[in-house]
Amino acid sequence: MSLYGLMAVFADPEALVEAARGMRERGYRHMDAFSPFPMKELDEILEIPPTRLPWAVLAGGIAGAALVYTLIWYSVEIDYPINVGGRPLHSWPPFVVIAFEAGILGAALAGFLGMLAANGLPRYYHPIFNAERFTYARGGRFYLLVEADDPKYRKGVTKGQLTRLGAEIVEEVEA
Amino acid sequence: MAKASADSPAVLRGRHDFPEISGRIGSIVLNGRLPRHFWTAFFLCFLLVLLLLYSITYLIAVGVGAYGIDIPVAWGTMISNFVWWIGIGHAGTLISAVLLLLRQPWRASINRFAEAMTLFAVAMAGLFPILHLGRPWFFYWLLPLPNVHMHWPQWRSPLVWDFAAIATYATVSLLFWYMGLLPDLAVLRDRARSRPAQLFYGILALGWRGSAYHWSRYTIVYFLIAALATPLVVSVHSIVSLDFTFAITPGYHSTIFPPYFVAGALLSGFAMVLTIAIPLRWAFSIEDLITLRHMDNAAKLMIAAGMVVAYGYVSEAFFAWYSGEPYERAMMAQRALGPYSPLFWTMLSLNCGVLQLLWFRRVRRNMPLLFAIAIAINIGMWIERYIIVVTGPSRDYLPTSWGEQSLTWLDFGILFGSIGTFFALVFLFIRILPAITIFEVEELAEEEGKVR
Repeated sequence: MSLYGLMAVFADPEALVEAARGMRERGYRHMDAFSPFPMKELDEILEIPPTRLPWAVLAGGIAGAALVYTLIWYSVEIDYPINVGGRPLHSWPPFVVIAFEAGILGAALAGFLGMLAANGLPRYYHPIFNAERFTYARGGRFYLLVEADDPKYRKGVTKGQLTRLGAEIVEEVEA
Repeated sequence: MAKASADSPAVLRGRHDFPEISGRIGSIVLNGRLPRHFWTAFFLCFLLVLLLLYSITYLIAVGVGAYGIDIPVAWGTMISNFVWWIGIGHAGTLISAVLLLLRQPWRASINRFAEAMTLFAVAMAGLFPILHLGRPWFFYWLLPLPNVHMHWPQWRSPLVWDFAAIATYATVSLLFWYMGLLPDLAVLRDRARSRPAQLFYGILALGWRGSAYHWSRYTIVYFLIAALATPLVVSVHSIVSLDFTFAITPGYHSTIFPPYFVAGALLSGFAMVLTIAIPLRWAFSIEDLITLRHMDNAAKLMIAAGMVVAYGYVSEAFFAWYSGEPYERAMMAQRALGPYSPLFWTMLSLNCGVLQLLWFRRVRRNMPLLFAIAIAINIGMWIERYIIVVTGPSRDYLPTSWGEQSLTWLDFGILFGSIGTFFALVFLFIRILPAITIFEVEELAEEEGKVR
């Protein structure tokens, strides 16, 4: 059994933010935090890079609209042209309606699937679930994980630092 | 964060701690000890589900003539049910998406069941155009599938747009709903004690663990999907109204229809939100999570949407007169004075008359009365859809073939069957999934400083 990292438990969100900041100042980089609701402050402290998912959403939207518009255009101009009293085959205004809906669908699918892919979900096994204290359910606990592969990681030292930063319990997490 | 002013009730009442919030919401689902009247109500709804199944079987076996449509009125209750249900769905999306974009804190405890309401309403709505086809088993002809018939859908037809709009709306609503559920499913997974429940919620939670990295992407994408859902709602009901306006039938051919339909959708949708929320908060004693403030705001939105609908009625009548077209004028006169006049005046008195009671704060805060008004608006909006669908074709350009649609038992069998099925689905949803968003209420408690 190898060690995955150290997990510190905090009683309230402010304590978690303080501890994350403190550990960062001490030079730790391989950290993750777990909270029952989103906490904006952590993004900056953990230096979470801004996500590129909005671009995926835009691309999905454009792709959906373009694909469906092309399909319609192909069907009326090439595959099955019907001349009705000389009206234009490529009458774009009604086609835009369906292309718009397809664009929304493409964007939403790209956003949802992109979020799952970027987060590596579904992932039913993760070392953090091995920690006895880790329970997402209670809601009243906030966790900071320092990974063992962090260059600054020294078993005894890190544990002491976490405790001094106000951790209620520090637990070793096995991989 | 908007602070509740002195006289308006708070979004969240009392002080809470996090285990208490997730415990209370989660235990409704996990203990499974629901009050007896819950199951009695579910049983009654289930009888209506059986009625729906029977009615649909009868309809398919006998044909669409069985529910009282005939030339000249070839569109009947199937279309009005469809428009009504889709409208009910829209308020759910509005609550969850638009209020998220506007950062309205009062959204947090009602968005989940509003979204569920959207999903089930869209599921009901989707049934009707298909049943209306007469040969429902060919509905997939609306899709551009490669097939042996060598045909394509008619892209210039609003009916095909409608299919695209409804399919997109159902899919996006489902994604948005499921995405909002992910963190709460993880809470249930960790709280569940029985193995089947752990497996069920565990599989659905996709291994969510609340990592800060995940939350940062999650919140951005959730916000973006909300931003996408907002124009989608408007486009969906506008396209539904184009089903009518593209015809030259008197009473259908009007440019006010798209905004008028969207406003009507919101009015009936908020009425349905109240119809569900008032018994829900009472039955589960969650008056401190879904507070009077929510009820009050929903009632205010109802009156805003209702005034736009009233403007739509006026505009319809005015332009029928202003067009100078004898058949448009005749249709409007016949709508008010002809065979459908009792329904027409009932609709006006409910949607424009009873609604005005909501101007009074005391009425908005009186739950039994508000519930009664919500029911009245639901009925009024159904009648409105029916009147729009039926009166036009019944007074067409050929007076010799004027005629009415006769309502048969099958019309009501399918309508009440669909209402029962909708509520049966709502009951199952309350039993199986958390009806209030746990993580957003906790975030709200944290932001408002109401944590013990």
